[in-house]
Amino acid sequence: MPIIVNLDVMLAKRKLKLKELSERVNISTVNLSILKQGKAKAIRFSTLNAICSALNCQPGDILEYVDDSVLLTE
Amino acid sequence: MKIIKNISVVVILILLPSLLIPFHSKHDNLFLWIIIFLIVAFFIFNLIIRKSLSFKNYFTSKFNLFTNKVRYKKTFDLPNDLMYQKVIEVINDSKFKLADTDKEKFEILAISTMSAISWGENLYIDFETKGNETIMHFCSTTFFQMYDWGKNEKNYTVLLNEIESSLTI
Repeated sequence: MPIIVNLDVMLAKRKLKLKELSERVNISTVNLSILKQGKAKAIRFSTLNAICSALNCQPGDILEYVDDSVLLTE
Repeated sequence: MKIIKNISVVVILILLPSLLIPFHSKHDNLFLWIIIFLIVAFFIFNLIIRKSLSFKNYFTSKFNLFTNKVRYKKTFDLPNDLMYQKVIEVINDSKFKLADTDKEKFEILAISTMSAISWGENLYIDFETKGNETIMHFCSTTFFQMYDWGKNEKNYTVLLNEIESSLTI
């Protein structure tokens, strides 16, 4: 999928663990793991809002669009 | 505590017919009483053991004629351990009740509650890894009913829909 989730990058930048984020945003670690691995089918605005608020970042820091052709060449 | 309660109910149900037979029935009805007693005892036995994964083979066996079962499998693009945790989470948030889990074998047993058309069903879920994907094997079985009135299939549909919708985070 051309949408890449950079949650692990943001977590590393903020020096946070997934469990800590889970407690802050009140979303289970299972769901955050699924999101981190880019396996989620969709993301709610409320979830995005909570994550951005906890990590003090913009939605664009977490989600990134990469063209399929670029992904294939990589 | 629950086990003690179940055992006491079984003991009462075993003793009750045997106490009633001499007083309330003639010898002609003895056979009928024995049959009723056996059916009730068998029902209670199944009711007690249904909540354990140890009896999975008993309930899901094709030779068990007193249960009706359906099997499905579905592939998910998630790792095995994550899928296992996800399904547990989904079951806890659904109308099903989580009865037993085995983290080593990646097996889950959920039960559905009694309804007008069913005594309840057992949902056995296990996971198989295939590359980066996980194949979820699902078996829904009645625990004391030879015809399921479509409940087994409905259980699968309900659980699958809940898993799918839970992937919107």
